[in-house]
Order: sequence, then C-alpha cells, then structure tokens
Amino acid sequence: MSALMLKFQQSLQVWGSVFIKDARHFQIFYLGAFLLFGIIFLDLQSELSRILLFLLTCIITQLIGAAWRGASPSSWKSATITALGLSLLLYSSNFWVIIFAAFVAMASKFLIRFQGKHIFNPGNFGIIAAIALTGEAWVSPGQWGSDIILVYFFGAAALMVLLKVGRIDTSLSFIITLFILEYFRTIVYLGWDWDVLFHKFSNGSLLLFTFFMITDPVTTPKNKKARIIWGAMIAVLAFGLSQWFYIYTAPIWALFFAAPLTALFNHYMKGKTFQWIQ
Amino acid sequence: MKTKIFIITLLASALSALQVHAFCGFYVAKADTKLFNNKSEVILVRDGDRTVITMSNDFKGTVKDFAMVVPVPVVLQESQIRVVNRRIFDFLDAYSGPRLVEYYDSNPCQPVFEVEEYSRVALTEAVAENSSMKFLADDADLGVKVEAEYTVGEYNILLLSATESKGLKTWLIKNEYKIPATADEVLEPYIKSEMKFFVVKVNLENYLKSDTDYLSPIQIEFNHDRFMLPIRLGMANSNGEQDMIVYAFTRSGRIECTNYRTVKIPTDRNIPLFVEPKFGEFYKTLFQKSYEQNGKRAVFLEYAWDVSTGSQVKCDPCVGPPPVQREFQEAGVNWAGGWNGETVFFTRLHVRYSRSKFPQDLTFQVTPNRERFQGRYILTHPASGDFSCDAGQEYLRDLQNRRRKEIDELIALTDWNARHSYNYINEFSNRLEDEKNEFPIGLLPNGGGSTPGLILLLISALGVGWWTARLIRERSMA
Repeated sequence: MSALMLKFQQSLQVWGSVFIKDARHFQIFYLGAFLLFGIIFLDLQSELSRILLFLLTCIITQLIGAAWRGASPSSWKSATITALGLSLLLYSSNFWVIIFAAFVAMASKFLIRFQGKHIFNPGNFGIIAAIALTGEAWVSPGQWGSDIILVYFFGAAALMVLLKVGRIDTSLSFIITLFILEYFRTIVYLGWDWDVLFHKFSNGSLLLFTFFMITDPVTTPKNKKARIIWGAMIAVLAFGLSQWFYIYTAPIWALFFAAPLTALFNHYMKGKTFQWIQ
Repeated sequence: MKTKIFIITLLASALSALQVHAFCGFYVAKADTKLFNNKSEVILVRDGDRTVITMSNDFKGTVKDFAMVVPVPVVLQESQIRVVNRRIFDFLDAYSGPRLVEYYDSNPCQPVFEVEEYSRVALTEAVAENSSMKFLADDADLGVKVEAEYTVGEYNILLLSATESKGLKTWLIKNEYKIPATADEVLEPYIKSEMKFFVVKVNLENYLKSDTDYLSPIQIEFNHDRFMLPIRLGMANSNGEQDMIVYAFTRSGRIECTNYRTVKIPTDRNIPLFVEPKFGEFYKTLFQKSYEQNGKRAVFLEYAWDVSTGSQVKCDPCVGPPPVQREFQEAGVNWAGGWNGETVFFTRLHVRYSRSKFPQDLTFQVTPNRERFQGRYILTHPASGDFSCDAGQEYLRDLQNRRRKEIDELIALTDWNARHSYNYINEFSNRLEDEKNEFPIGLLPNGGGSTPGLILLLISALGVGWWTARLIRERSMA
C-alpha cells in the first residue's frame, strides 16, 4: 500500500513540475476554473457554444499563424488563454461577432508586430475591435458581482507570486495606483463611506483584468521598473476615463491605448525577453 | 400525444401584492408621518446621452406633507419637466410583469377541443388628502442657491445648487423638510460631484384644480453622459429593504447594471395547479428566494423584448396590451413612430436594495443585447374524461411523473412546504388499471436544485477515475 502511495506521490511530483514549468498551464487552469465557477454558481449567460466558438476560432487562427510564422506548436496554449479571457469578458448574441473577435484577437498577434514581438494583448485587442467595429458586442462589468470572487482572486495572485510566474508587479502597480486615486476621489474628496470603495475594488471584472489581462508577459515591458510605471499609467488613464467620461470598461480601453508604449519602454529600459517555458 | 392546446394568462399580481410606495430620491414627510420607501417605479429612456426619467408617486399620506429631493446632473429647464398620467406605470407593469400561463392537456382517448381565456387583476390607486406648502427663499449664508423655480402641474419645483451639505441640510429643515439625521453625509458626495437638487412640493391650488385624487408622476429630461439612478439618498431614512422596478426603453437593446450583477429571474418553470390562486404570493416568495440566493446584491431581469411598432410578437403570451405610440410618447421615447420606425427595446429590472448590500448608486449601460426574456410560470391542466385506452393509461403515468416534477420545482423555487403534494401527484392514480401506480421515487431528491452539485460530482468522479486508471497502469508497468 505504501508503495502505491509512493508511486502516487512521485507521479504527482512529475506532473506538478511539468505544470509549474509553463506559466500558461497555471493561467489556463485558473481562467478555466473561473469560467466554470461563473457558469455553475453565477448562472452567467455563458452558453457553451459561445465558449467553444472562442476556443475553436482562437486555436485555429493561432495554428495557421504559427505555421505561417514558424512559431512553436505549443502556442495553442496562448490561444486557449486568449479564448478563455474572451469568454470571461466579451458577449454578443451574434455568432459572427464572436468569431470576428476571436479571429482579430489572434490575427493581431501575427499582423501587428514591432521588433519581433506583437504589440497588443490579443484578448484586449479582440474585445476593443468587436465593441468598436461591430456595435454588436459588449462587456458586462457588473457580471461577476463583488463577493467571494475577491478571495478567489487574491488566492490566484498569491499563487502567482509563489510560483514566480506572470507579472505580478504590473498587477500590483496598477491596482495600488488605482486604489490611491480612487481613495482620494471617493473618500477624501467626495466623502463616501469606505464600503463604496471596497465595493468598487471587489468587482470581479476589475480583478480579472488586474490579475489576468495586464499580466501578459509578452506585451508588458521587459524591464521591471518600466512595468511598474506602465501599470501605474494604465491606472491613471482608467481612473480618468471612468471618473469623467463614465466609461465603465475603462481599464480595458486604458490597456489598449497603453499597449503601444511597451515598445517605447523596451527601447529605453532594457530587460530580459520572457520565455514561457522555464 | 400531449397536445398542448391553449394559453391563458394572468397578470403578475405579485406586484400589487408587494407594498407600493415611494421613489429613489427620498420622500421626506413633515411632522410625525412615518414613511417607508418600500417600493418605487421608474421609467428610464436612454438614447445616446439623452435621458428621460419618470418617477411614480405612490405617496400615501397628506399631500401637503409630500416632498421629494432627487439629485440631478444639470439644472433643468422648465420645458424639461413634465407631469404625466399615472396610467403609464400601471400599463407598463401590467404588460411586462411576470406571467402565469395555463395549458390544457387533451385527452388522448378523445377528440381535441380548444379553450382560451384572459384575465387581469386591477391595481389600486393611492389616495391622498389635500393641503399645501410653499417654499421659503434661498439663503446665501447656507451656500444654497435656488437656480430655478417652476410650477409644473400640481408641483412647485426648485432646482438647488449647494456648496456644502450642512448648509443644504439646514436649508431643507428651515423649509420644513424632515431630513434624516444622517442625510448630510449622503448629500455631501452629490454636492461634490457637482450635482443639483431637484426639490418638489405640492402646489395645493393646482392640485385642487386637477380632478385627480393622486399625485401625478414627474418626468424630467436632460442630456448627460451619466446613466444612473441615485438610490443612496433614499436609503438615508431607511435601513430596510426597498424595491424598485425600472422600465427602460432604448434604441439598441437591454440595459444592465454595471456595478451590480444583473441576473435573470427563474423562468419557464412548470408549477402545480394549486399555485394559481396564490400566484402573487408565489412570485413574491420566488423573488425573495432568488434575492437571497444571489447574496441580496443582484438586480433582476424580469422582462426584455423588442417592442418596436413594426415588431410582430411582443410577448409570449401577452398579459396586457403592448405599449404603442401613445405610451412611447408619454414615456419620452421620441424616436418611435410609424410602421418602419426604429427599434424600441424594453427592459424591466427589479431591484431590492438595502444600505449594507448596495453601497453605490445604480449605474447602467445600454447593451446591443436584444435577446428576449420574460418571467413565465406554467400551469398545465390535466385532460378529463375516460382514460381507459392504452394511450390514456400512459398519459396518466406521465401525468403523475409530471406533477412530481412540478412539486420539486415549486420547492426549489419557493421552499414552500406543499402539504397536499401527495394528493396532487396521485390525484388520478385510482384510474390507473395496473398495479404500477405507486409514487415514483427519484434517484436524486429535488432535481431542479441539484444541477450544479451534479456537475461537480461528475467532475470529481472523472478526476478520481482518471487517477485510478493511471495508478493501475503504472503499477502494472512496474
């Protein structure tokens, strides 16, 4: 029996180390779990067909692009992450819009490039393109509510630190800057109670964005300092857009506008190129 | 073999079953009149940055005590303020409310017949007493400025701007508004956000001239990027739960809340026949349960449909006549008109909010989502007559199963302890000729509520299976 247990432990270790080596496994696991959580407990309008369309279109586009550009075949993992991200945030009642968003997201990886690297976060680009160009897509910032999710995401964030994957510095810089700005605006200036601020910051969509969208290692600056400045810039922009233009999906737009600056940061502040498999 | 024949509808008297009261600003009563803002109704029209808000006045008290304060983003012109007929609210409520639908089974041993019925429950109007109240002048020392003053319909209306909340509070008290002690904490953020205050009292003279015995709904119109409803002020004088029904009209599709979850109310459920006389109570309980299940912090979708003049089907079935040109105009939908007019999309939201669960005002967005939705509950009447043929016997067994599911559904939706459920399920069992007429026992209790659990169970079973298979394989290899 103990031999069996030993085997069990060994196989766990093998699988564990394979899992940890590639940061994308972790992301797929968390995003997938989150999607499942939404479908089961929040009864989200996450029809299976929409998620499947996102997955299929993303992976097919990625494989075609990879064959064309000669990228690693394991890049289907990146496509899966993008598809899951889209499934979590973007809605449309038109299937063509779903396909369009997924296609544009992945195509942007191969078409909009600078110095051998894509510029836009694919999921972010797909969302913006679908909303701005089709008029048939939308993001529901309130859909995740403001509850247990908080705990879930902090769990995820802590794990990210522990596993030394992802770019937690960008997340922290973004969320801390936004929190400080919101604190001064909401509590100090406007005079709302603390629970208003907590309610804003326990918003599932905001946390999802913070820990999974702006942490994409390829489209964030290579230099650590640059990443911190970049994250703070997105926060300032998002804060302005939401406070004075009443755009409820402000962070997504802020990231879109800040993405091209990554190339600039990479030019002036050097850093190591990110490798998915460590 | 179950030919479902016809439909009947009944209005969701659920709403009239709920306490009907106030609005999202706050009602302030003078003297000792005790008021609870239990329920309010609002019509929202949003087209670009044009917003029309119509607020219902189910004020129950002495008319001279009526007063209302609503934060608005701009100083309104006289032409932007109107009073409308109360009828529009009853009309929209009757049309979009949760509905009970009835179907009739046909007897498989007999020929087919058809039935059609239609019924509605009337709503009661609020009756108020007569009296009046005038405003006092503005006061520069208090930092309160009267930006505009109008008399519209039976109301005296002021638009105030203020520089600090204490001054505004003092001004309101001096003008005989009974302000909750904690109101200035809430007024402060609105003042800082550069919002103005739309302050309303009744003009007795005009009120007496009008023939109505109730206060008309007030409609305001303005252009602003912000699309929200200020609920925080209404919670200043109440820690309890308040209900608000929002009827929204847009060009493109559903509206949804951006800072709280917008959840669909459970719909298309088959429920037992004995629920019919208690439908109002049923819906009230169902709503309460959904509200609790969603952590008391969700906004519920009760109806969503394209109601454009050209659109053919507007509900399935309709519980009242659909809004047409006259209602659109009254509500402020100025783009509707003609047979090839543009889309008018109707959303009905129901929110029950409380201070602890809804710290932020409700903000909304218009989405391109035109998917239809309605809260719909289904009754199916059994066939009557002789069931001795084979198909008839099979029908009776199906009926038993169906009724068992209806009871399960009822329990899942309301937690009602249905005492006569056994009799209901087995009502026709004595007409079954064979012995297999026992109460069928399901594998899983309460099927309706356990789907998530079942999925989790399956997933974990798969996981365990996979690990076991792996271990066995590794062992055999070793």
